[in-house]
Amino acid sequence: MVPTEYYIALSSIIFVIGAVGVLTRRSAIMVFLSVELMLNAANLALVAFARQWSVAGAATALNGQAAVFIILAIAAAEVAVGLGILVAIFRYRSSTDIDALSEVRL
Amino acid sequence: MFGIDVNAAAFAPALVLLIVAAMATLWSLFEADGRFMAMLALIGVVMSGLFNVQLLLEGNASGTYLSSFGLKYLADAPAIGFNFVILIGTALAVLIAYDYLGRTDLDHPEYYPLILLSSCGAMVMAAAGDLITLILGLEIMSLAVYVLSAWRQNARESEEAGMKYFLLGAFASAFLIYGIALMYGATGSFSYGSIAAALQADGFSNVFYASLGGMMILAGLGFKVAFAPFHQWAPDVYTGAPTSVTAFMSVVVKAAAFAALLRIASSFFTELPPVLNQVLVVLIVLTLVIGNLGALLQQGLKRMLAYSAVAHAGYLGLAVLAAGTTGTKAAVWYLTAYALMNAGAFAVLSLMTDRNDHGDALERFAGLGRTRPGLAAALSIFLLSLAGIPLLAGFVGKILVFQAAISAGYVGLAVLGILTSIVAVVYYIRPIAYMYFRDSEYKAPEIKSRATSIAIGLAVIGTIGLGIFPGWWYGLINAGKSIMAMAGL
Repeated sequence: MVPTEYYIALSSIIFVIGAVGVLTRRSAIMVFLSVELMLNAANLALVAFARQWSVAGAATALNGQAAVFIILAIAAAEVAVGLGILVAIFRYRSSTDIDALSEVRL
Repeated sequence: MFGIDVNAAAFAPALVLLIVAAMATLWSLFEADGRFMAMLALIGVVMSGLFNVQLLLEGNASGTYLSSFGLKYLADAPAIGFNFVILIGTALAVLIAYDYLGRTDLDHPEYYPLILLSSCGAMVMAAAGDLITLILGLEIMSLAVYVLSAWRQNARESEEAGMKYFLLGAFASAFLIYGIALMYGATGSFSYGSIAAALQADGFSNVFYASLGGMMILAGLGFKVAFAPFHQWAPDVYTGAPTSVTAFMSVVVKAAAFAALLRIASSFFTELPPVLNQVLVVLIVLTLVIGNLGALLQQGLKRMLAYSAVAHAGYLGLAVLAAGTTGTKAAVWYLTAYALMNAGAFAVLSLMTDRNDHGDALERFAGLGRTRPGLAAALSIFLLSLAGIPLLAGFVGKILVFQAAISAGYVGLAVLGILTSIVAVVYYIRPIAYMYFRDSEYKAPEIKSRATSIAIGLAVIGTIGLGIFPGWWYGLINAGKSIMAMAGL
């Protein structure tokens, strides 16, 4: 059996890639995609932890696996709302460059 | 283990909002009149309030509180108190929007169902006894608010506000969710009680995962309550969103996020390594300083109120540090006062600006005391209360929060809080000085709105009433304990 730490290491690498993507990408679509990557990293961690916790009983493991589905649903809802806002902005200014989104200032 | 524990009375206030929101959504297909939807929303809020009053009275009489889904949804004293804050904020926001949306060409019937859904999510968040319930409530609340803050189409500020809030909000919830995953990995549980028990147990070995998880949960929620340095979105989003939405966001979203933070702080947060508490202290110090200094520098009232909202997050942060003792009650009281005075100030602002929400510069308020004395008096009361002048609600709130912080041993922070509130008086007094002691050629737009006037009137009565009789409301929320406290956590 592959040790849980390996999964967590992979998941944290994916999470960091996502976080760096959010901070450096300029296209809103890519930022968005990076957030999805972060959420999927959390899902991977949850599944790995759930496998590890199956020693404490099926219920403990199922808790973690059920959480994965809830987070998938949350990610889907976020996509629907986010793309809606994105389309509205794109119609107005024909660009998804987020650096252009900085007219409101201190 | 898999028995179903459903206690509808516990979540009736949130359920009513959900049902009315669903009805209103369907109804909006046939009925395009926004004011009709607003009345429907108000009826929903009142019904939900009645259920909540019943919960409060029954709970206070019997001393026990309802819960549902196996302690995943708690209707205890803090949750009921926060429900009132959320309902006050929602009702005031609906009254502000009643005429405002038509005046600014924003009148689409979907507006009110989204407001109701958002408050429903806020209630779920306030009642969450479990990290999964927490993120569900958070997302139900946030997704609706993302849409609302981008409500004004073809206006750059509003769309930018919506996009910025959405991208940063999704980024923050990703941190929160990863933190929750790590917390599950460390303790094998999502519910606050079991996490606290696992952390207390002898031979607990996953300290690294638990502290990292706690840190990420703190960052995710810190974003929602606008703790510095996660506050940068707040001024832009509050300024860019339509004023009726800003009033809603600054009250309801903040109350729900603080409710969640207080519950975490009073259950398992103290079991984590003390370095996390120190991080929280640093965040609060930064918030107090940056929020108040930022507000000092503003020339527009809307942006000033946005920074003042950040500063108030700092004062509420003091209550979070004392969550184990009197902090939660102090925070409920503070947020009740804050809901009234802050939404009231935004209600006045919504009558002063043009259809694009422009014209909130302080010069525009010059001479308002002469031209529109009622409006000027109301705004003065709200600003003085936000500043914490005695005999108004904001003063009592601050006293309660500082007391809680001192009794929890954070004397230095309380002193910093008092010093920064003295600084805050400067920027709250400035608009009042403009209104009464300066004259200008500019004539404020003659906007009259009966609904907004009702909102301002209710907020004035509440602000003064709570300030003069603080004990009544404190007695009501103080009568009950939280389920966490009853279980000894």
